Amino acid sequence: MKNTRKMKSINDLKRAIKTQIQKRKSKEEFILTVSAGTCGRARGSFKVIKALKNAIKKEKLENEVKIKVTGCHGFCEVEPNIIIHPHNIFYQKVDPKNAKDIIIQTILNNKIIDELLYSDPITKEKISQENNIPFYKHQTRIILGDNALIDPTDINDYLSIRGYSSLIKVLSEISSEEVINIVKQSGLRGRGGAGFHTGMKWEFARKANGNTKFIICNADEGDPGAYMDRSLLEGNPHRVLEGMLIGAYAIGAEEGYIYVRDEYPLAVKHVSLAISQAKKLGLLGKNILGTGFNFQIHISKGAGAFVCGEETALISSIQGKVGEPRQRPPFPAVKGLWGKPTNINNVETWANIPVIIEKGADWFSKIGTNGSKGTKIFSLVGKINNTGLVEVPIGITLREIIYDIGGGIPGGKKLKAVQTGGPSGGCIPAKLLDLPVDYERLAEAGSIMGSGGMIVTDENTCMVDLAKYFLNFLRDESCGKCLSCREGIRRMWEIVTGITEGRATMEHLYILEGLARVVKDASMCGLGQTASNPVLSTLRYFRDEYKAHIIEKWCPALVCKRLIPSPCQDACPVGIDVPSYIALIAWGKFNEAVDLIREDNPFPAICGRVCNHPCELNCKMGEFDRPIAIHSLKRTCADYVLKREGYKLPSIQSKREEKVAIIGSGPAGLTAAYYLARLGYRTTVFEALPVAGGMLSVGIPSYRLPREIVKAEIDAICDLGVEIKVNTAIGKDLSMDDLKQQGYKAIFIATGAHRSLKLGLSGEDGLKGIIDCVAFLKDVNLGNQKKPGDKIVIIGDDYISADAARVCKRLGSSEVNIIYGRSRKEMPLDDSEIDQALDEGVKIHYLTIPNKILSKEGKVTGLQCIHTQVGKADSRGRGELIPLEGSEFVIDADTIIRATGQVPDIAFLDRKFEISRWNQIVVDPYTLQTNVSGVFAGGDVVTGPATVIEAIAAGKKAAASIDSYIKEKKFEGYKRPKPRMRIEPVKLTKEEEELKRPEMPLLSINKRLQSFAEVELGYTEKMAIREAKRCRRCDIEE
Amino acid sequence: MITLAVDNQEITVKEGTTLLKASEKLGIEIPTLCYHEGLLPYGACRLCVVEIFKEKENRMVAACSFPVEEGMKVVTSSDRVLKRRRMIVEFLLSRCPDVKTIKDLADRMGIKKPRFKSKNLDCILCGLCVRVCNEIAGIGAIGFVSRGKKLKVDTPFHMASDVCIGCGACSSVCPTDAIEMELDAVKRFLELLGSEHKCRYALMGLISYKVCSNNYECWKCKIDQRIRDALGTHPIFAAKKIKKEKVNQYFSFLKKIQE
Repeated sequence: MKNTRKMKSINDLKRAIKTQIQKRKSKEEFILTVSAGTCGRARGSFKVIKALKNAIKKEKLENEVKIKVTGCHGFCEVEPNIIIHPHNIFYQKVDPKNAKDIIIQTILNNKIIDELLYSDPITKEKISQENNIPFYKHQTRIILGDNALIDPTDINDYLSIRGYSSLIKVLSEISSEEVINIVKQSGLRGRGGAGFHTGMKWEFARKANGNTKFIICNADEGDPGAYMDRSLLEGNPHRVLEGMLIGAYAIGAEEGYIYVRDEYPLAVKHVSLAISQAKKLGLLGKNILGTGFNFQIHISKGAGAFVCGEETALISSIQGKVGEPRQRPPFPAVKGLWGKPTNINNVETWANIPVIIEKGADWFSKIGTNGSKGTKIFSLVGKINNTGLVEVPIGITLREIIYDIGGGIPGGKKLKAVQTGGPSGGCIPAKLLDLPVDYERLAEAGSIMGSGGMIVTDENTCMVDLAKYFLNFLRDESCGKCLSCREGIRRMWEIVTGITEGRATMEHLYILEGLARVVKDASMCGLGQTASNPVLSTLRYFRDEYKAHIIEKWCPALVCKRLIPSPCQDACPVGIDVPSYIALIAWGKFNEAVDLIREDNPFPAICGRVCNHPCELNCKMGEFDRPIAIHSLKRTCADYVLKREGYKLPSIQSKREEKVAIIGSGPAGLTAAYYLARLGYRTTVFEALPVAGGMLSVGIPSYRLPREIVKAEIDAICDLGVEIKVNTAIGKDLSMDDLKQQGYKAIFIATGAHRSLKLGLSGEDGLKGIIDCVAFLKDVNLGNQKKPGDKIVIIGDDYISADAARVCKRLGSSEVNIIYGRSRKEMPLDDSEIDQALDEGVKIHYLTIPNKILSKEGKVTGLQCIHTQVGKADSRGRGELIPLEGSEFVIDADTIIRATGQVPDIAFLDRKFEISRWNQIVVDPYTLQTNVSGVFAGGDVVTGPATVIEAIAAGKKAAASIDSYIKEKKFEGYKRPKPRMRIEPVKLTKEEEELKRPEMPLLSINKRLQSFAEVELGYTEKMAIREAKRCRRCDIEE
Repeated sequence: MITLAVDNQEITVKEGTTLLKASEKLGIEIPTLCYHEGLLPYGACRLCVVEIFKEKENRMVAACSFPVEEGMKVVTSSDRVLKRRRMIVEFLLSRCPDVKTIKDLADRMGIKKPRFKSKNLDCILCGLCVRVCNEIAGIGAIGFVSRGKKLKVDTPFHMASDVCIGCGACSSVCPTDAIEMELDAVKRFLELLGSEHKCRYALMGLISYKVCSNNYECWKCKIDQRIRDALGTHPIFAAKKIKKEKVNQYFSFLKKIQE
């Protein structure tokens, strides 16, 4: 920038641009482009630059290798990143330690360093070119792309990419009116939020009376999570200046302001530098390039008030007054800054102008949709893999932005909603994922484009909490001038806070909606008029979540602290006081721990083995380490007690005369019996099979759940006075009417789901060698331990497929295959269970579905399968399975076991019961009452196959409901348990603070395959105490 | 001239007239709190919201500050308007449950008890005091401090003002009596200031008397009271009108009201 001379004519500038372009082309040295916007700097790009410089010096390559410091390239997730020219190699997440390697290996020896390349999270393929990375590949980067090419502190670098050539074009060829026409034809709409047509806005300002006019660049970017304007000002300030110059020429303004918040120091620095350089070159000031056009730009620094993004407030802030909006009209185009006609546009809008002039309105209007042209930059943040700035043609779907560019949700979690437009915007739920993103469609969906913030939320985000967050932001940021906005937002915040703290009633929800409408209708400026959007859109799409907070006092996402003291307890369908019993274990009080668990769950030893433990999935510890082994701890303390004195008899209320009959002795039936007996009722359980326990005894193989454990826990229930009558099938040995006659006041049906579904393949019936998974397991569990065949294929979406496979292995089958239509991640099985099955030699074919059964002489000989691809997700978020033509293959088999789901067997019921389409008994979801008075039903017979813990929850709920029924009280719904006690945390030693989750000790493979001995051996007491000490006690955190 | 319809009645008014003025001409009453004849419209209380229809557009605006537009249809008491207005009064009532003006307003709308937690404040932040001090007295002794939920009317840095002339205009325009003149404080002001700056009329440039027969105790001032009687408002509002006239007319005006 030394020796720069002021340019006096358009030709001067033309020559300068030509020289700079040639200079760029002729460069032969290596250029290391290091991204160092605010985001890159935060992640240490300066340290990388320093290290690179040192390495270059050491190798004496100062003349051959140059470093170029640029602004943000957009892919903030992998900052700091380096692009090496001329080969365009893209290195990500570069550490200062890598500097030496980059210089020696890549520069000197032309070798690519694999570890620094971007690797695709799914295919694991390494990608060396920036353009091939999915994040960049699916974008259209007409604005942001240049950020990676230029050093923002050097005007010559901007000239070398044909910068300021649009200004030349305008000054030499196009009249002001024509410029406005071009902008109008291009269809460009304001990128700041409201989306007003830029050309029209310019025309108003041009036609307004008065000689003095102003233009303003609005860089008061205040939405939480949006930073595209900052990135543009930091990375390419001249482009914004060029846009403003063209705008000033078109409108007839001689002065312009850039209103930028002082929290953007780097942006302020780069823009100031750009202005002074442009002045020196004669691109700003009086008589620009000898054309007689005068234009000055001032920087006005804002103090960071969100409301100052509103144009009238912004103007008042520039004038030195309080940043408060005023009533429009008069619009700024008529009466703006210092009372003169003023045109305000957003940074991104200004940055679009040079492109439109250079490439023409036609070219520009081909990008985008009918009503919304061009590209838009979004800042993609929140629960997303590829955080960063993305520039896409308007009209692209949310799915493309989130999955193709954003790389999906971290941790394989489900997408819940996307919040667009910041605090003024709304939530778009996952079911609208195929919504094209343009101004109109977003508005229809209850949100706005806004300045382009896009906050992605996953299933662990509470939408009420999200609404509360934005309301809190707006409560602080409302200027307070108009009453409806100031008081309305405050009152909405109060109510929403009440909801998240469990203080609200349904009446409050009604008031909240009224409030939202008042704030929207009656407020003066855009801030207030859009402030209800977060509330209205979450109410529109997630009303159930609000209701859960209000009625059940429960936060489904397990976020709201007041309702959810600890997520493990609330994730548990029966609400076991997990933190307290883990604390008791940490203190070594195993007996007390078991007593506590048995308050909420009569089967600690069983659940300690076979529960799918939703508690662990939601354990806070799991966010930064492995979750606490909650179910294994439960098992250890239960085993400890069972091995010694056995369970203590729990408290029983005074005996009552009423009798209750329970049909089915599975977990649901036995749990109901346990709680009814504790309430004093005389309870009898009827079981059709010769053993009690239902699926616990005849479904789950004993290597996972030893029979003596099941027996011990059932015996503990019998100790309460519960009578179990085995070999008594209702409908055969006794009828329902008999039960009524015998004086049973209430009947609870919990017969489970024991009938397998058919495959629906031709030739399935009448073939030898096709067996039912449930029947097979039942047979084996009842003692018939004969191997079904040698070569087995198990067709299973079901959680019992792995059980069947491992049982076959134990019975001596040589080849056992499972085919499953989806990927391992989606399999409804615990990871450890899949691993154990694989260890035992079971083959699992993922993404495979059966196509045809092969048979010979009435006997199965094999199964033809076909590979699948998971397609677009349906409304439940599960992708449909698309068979891949031509991928058929055959698995030889003599036996096919179908585990494709079970349905309840309800042949024993009278016709008077209401039955659903899926052969399930229909009940009132709150009371579990059937349509027949006094008869209740719960568990798998109502829900279809579910987990043990869900069956236990149903039993518990049924007991409470039956109690109310007999006492003729109104049943007020099942209350989620709250912490039962407060246990002080154990003081940890230094060493204990660093503890890791111990691996579960397993039986050796050889021993496993020879018998049905239990595979998981359980933690020792010492291991359990140490593991319990890992709990961070979020339940008592203040 | 612009023709529009308010509640289905057509009216033609000058360009720049507000909806409130246009409605007034038709005898349609729209409640207001932060509006004052002598001050610029501010649009803070939102009590005067009305519904406007123009072409496809249908929205709600504050009548006190929204200018008339050709062909516009205004509805001042639709269901939507009344619902919003009720809620706004409810906001006011929960903010200031003991203020008479607000209680009367709520009574008229049939609101007995607000559904929100009460705050027991006096000030509704209508900004009349701030505006009268700025726009008319030209002093700017008080202003809005903070933003959003912390917004309040105060002197700079919450210190006793050294520019306040003790004119009492703020107190007189306050619809909720949140600002009161304290006699002792006024006296203290007068003692603090130099003799040339004792008379508020002198300060406003209305009169050039340097010697006061009331010993600068303005509440005894006859001119003060007569202006108040003549205009039916605080004398400060006379200032705006008189300022427009020429210097030699000052005295004829004063004479007229003294007679």
